[in-house]
Amino acid sequence: MERIIIDPVTRIEGHARISILLDEEGKVSEARFHVTEFRGFEKFCQGRPFWEMAGLSARICGICPVSHLLASSRAGDALLGIRVPPAAEKLRRLMNLGQFIQSHALSFFHLSAPDLLLGWDSPPQQRNVFGLIAANRDLARAGIRLRQFGQEVIELLGGRKIHPAWSVPGGVREPLTPQARDQLLRWLPEVRQTVQTALAFCKRFLDEHPEEIRVFGHFPSLFLALVQPNGNWEHHDGLLVVVDSTGQRLAELSDPHDYASIIGEHVEPDSYLKSPFYRPFGYPAGLYRVGPLARLNVCTRMGTPLADAELQEFRQRAGRIAESSFLYHHARLIEIVAAIELVERLLDDPELQTGRIRAEASINRQVGVGISEAPRGTLFHHYEIDEDGLLKRVNLIIATGQNNLAMNRTITQIAQHYIRGKNIPEGMLNRVEAGIRAFDPCLSCSTHAVGKMALHVQLFDARGNVVDEVWR
Amino acid sequence: MAALKLATAWLGGCSGCHMSFLDMDEWLLELAGRVELVYSPLMDSKVYPSAVDLCLVEGAVANEDNRELLLTIRKHTRVLIAFGDCAVTGNVTAMRNPFGGAREVLRPVYLDNGDDNPCVPSARPSLPLLLDRVEPIMSVVAVDHYLPGCPPPAARIRRILEELLDDRASQEQLLDNPRRGHSWNVSSSIP
Amino acid sequence: MAVLTLTIDERPVSAREGDTILQAAREAGLTIPTLCQLDGLSLVGACRLCLVEVEGSRRLLAACVTRATEGMIVRTATPRLIEYRRMIVELLLAERNHLCAVCVANGQCELQQLATNLGIDHVRFRYQFPQYAVDISHRQFGHDPNRCVLCTRCVRACDEIEGAHTWDVAGRGSHCTVITDLATPWGESTTCTSCGKCVQACPTGALFHRGSTVAEMRRDRSRLSLLVLAREKKQWLL
Repeated sequence: MERIIIDPVTRIEGHARISILLDEEGKVSEARFHVTEFRGFEKFCQGRPFWEMAGLSARICGICPVSHLLASSRAGDALLGIRVPPAAEKLRRLMNLGQFIQSHALSFFHLSAPDLLLGWDSPPQQRNVFGLIAANRDLARAGIRLRQFGQEVIELLGGRKIHPAWSVPGGVREPLTPQARDQLLRWLPEVRQTVQTALAFCKRFLDEHPEEIRVFGHFPSLFLALVQPNGNWEHHDGLLVVVDSTGQRLAELSDPHDYASIIGEHVEPDSYLKSPFYRPFGYPAGLYRVGPLARLNVCTRMGTPLADAELQEFRQRAGRIAESSFLYHHARLIEIVAAIELVERLLDDPELQTGRIRAEASINRQVGVGISEAPRGTLFHHYEIDEDGLLKRVNLIIATGQNNLAMNRTITQIAQHYIRGKNIPEGMLNRVEAGIRAFDPCLSCSTHAVGKMALHVQLFDARGNVVDEVWR
Repeated sequence: MAALKLATAWLGGCSGCHMSFLDMDEWLLELAGRVELVYSPLMDSKVYPSAVDLCLVEGAVANEDNRELLLTIRKHTRVLIAFGDCAVTGNVTAMRNPFGGAREVLRPVYLDNGDDNPCVPSARPSLPLLLDRVEPIMSVVAVDHYLPGCPPPAARIRRILEELLDDRASQEQLLDNPRRGHSWNVSSSIP
Repeated sequence: MAVLTLTIDERPVSAREGDTILQAAREAGLTIPTLCQLDGLSLVGACRLCLVEVEGSRRLLAACVTRATEGMIVRTATPRLIEYRRMIVELLLAERNHLCAVCVANGQCELQQLATNLGIDHVRFRYQFPQYAVDISHRQFGHDPNRCVLCTRCVRACDEIEGAHTWDVAGRGSHCTVITDLATPWGESTTCTSCGKCVQACPTGALFHRGSTVAEMRRDRSRLSLLVLAREKKQWLL
């Protein structure tokens, strides 16, 4: 069996490689996604005070530290046994929306647009954000500034763009100043225009590339996401819902502490990334997807006018439940539209700047689970502490991890469609990578560490001899 | 004069330093005109090229892949900058070190019997070997400049790039004599 | 009181009889870096950051515990001294686990400030990565030995100003560590009065208020010298 390696997978966050396995006839039997990084957060955070976790867990990822900050704070809220004041809830939501905008902008403009604009087969040296700048300066500038807007929301609330230590158990540390609010309001016309430009471009691309929609991870699956009780799109707090490909709700949790009843974690021996699955269906039938596609599939409506119009068009093209992973790109842009509309709503909300922003309490529980939607999907922080507050156990279920099974299936589908034999044009390999890029994975997040991996670990010396092994 | 050949790389880190790099926002448009990006996770080069003028290396050395890439970078790069606290000091990535070797971190975690779904184990060479000790990059290679911060603010990244670019335009001194010993503000992350 | 003159860094400086070189320098507006010294507490000359060159002496002398004498010629910032200071700070940074990025004292830390002032942007020594457990058993405060530099300011503050002597040093060499009572958890201490003076005295993030998140610690280190002034001289600054 021949094995072709793509190493590293580029224009994603984090470290990974792809193996494409060919059978004797040169046909692709399988493609596998190996995430090669590991740091061990769940282990080395043991023994730290739980209120440090917000700052610590931010360092899981430099693109979505806010996601971890918020999920961690919510787990901390649960440990304190409090509900945060309304202003704090809204401020946290505001920062999360900023996070969505900057992260989705990065994914579309900086990482994927080079493929979409320049083409899968364009020269690799140009197929990146600098090439985008050379090919279409205005579009590149608009995309850079859209991301800048999202980062500025974060900075004006948290004091810095990356790793702000602003959301804490109990609430947040600083309010939004009136000047900051005005500064953000001034951005809105431009960013609204930018996302419309991106949407127009994306829709044109979809019209012209039906093959990609068909083969880039097109299969029925379950979808998991948070949603509001009234069916509106949700990005921070709500019901945890699983739907199947017909849109039927299979599970609905209002208490995040029960997550383990519906999510199991399976280990693959050739990746540091675990594979969560929907427990009642077992593994691997319990494959489910999270993220923009899931959130759009799970919700009834976006809840804001422009985004709802876009969602309606999206569903006309894709059906009520979109099954193609390629449509993550389209879904992502619709979420930016919604996020901008919600940012405006919050900035005009007087409750955003009224009253206390941080609740005070001592430890009242020793198990706390916090959920939030990260740009890439649902994120779970599960902490267990001793009576003083030192962490005894940490379990993190990461957005991207939940897409692991789907990503593997996607790249297999793409590889089987485009690759024959071992002389593979570079553009074909790029298409396989693009299957991963559609999910906008965050691999530093997803391999924060371990938790419950059952594994056989072998230590090899330089000559390839096994010098030590550890069994689960 | 040919454009300066710029590279970036990330080892064991969170990519926050790269995000801070992108936080240079519209100055990226100007930078694009003055450099040739020859290797970076943000682009599709799979092999580190030779004759690189400047490389920003983010992250600590946590596994064999990191180590090998770093050695390759050093061999083919004139000026290597340790980019961010993980690269300079080990930082959060090195927080597993006090627990002992890699096995001490892997083993108790792998023997944790939380999940009811055991996998028949067999690790293949797809995964790089974890190093027993996470190291800042200066433990492995000579570093020309240090840029601490978690992450270093975009303004500081821009300043060092501008200085190196301007210097190159005038006399090429910094690139030939990289150990000029700039002292950058060390206070890493004042929020 | 007798006045004497000495020279510090080529400048003539006057001092009172009994002043240390450090006091004389500070009166004259000159900065000599310190870490274990804190106004209001006794002097121990432990950290060696204030070492100065004194003409006529082969040894370097700690400015905080060396009396100024008439005609003394002192240099505080020669290349050798600066290099030694850098080494001391780098050794401190390498000895334990100082992660500024996620520390409660980030931006408010004397160790960090020293490093900044000395232009330190990396540590040349091998990091030790020792393993220390955090003690947050106390209702109001926490102790993280990973951030401790063994300046013993907490020990002296508790002993000399509060009088409880809850803190002391155990162990030897690199196994030295500060402990509460007889190495009982701080929350179970029978001597601690929860006054918080140790937390005020601590130069780093080793002692902190419970619940403080990244960079949240705020201190007023002048509190301790004000207490001493009040107690000894019956003077209260309003």
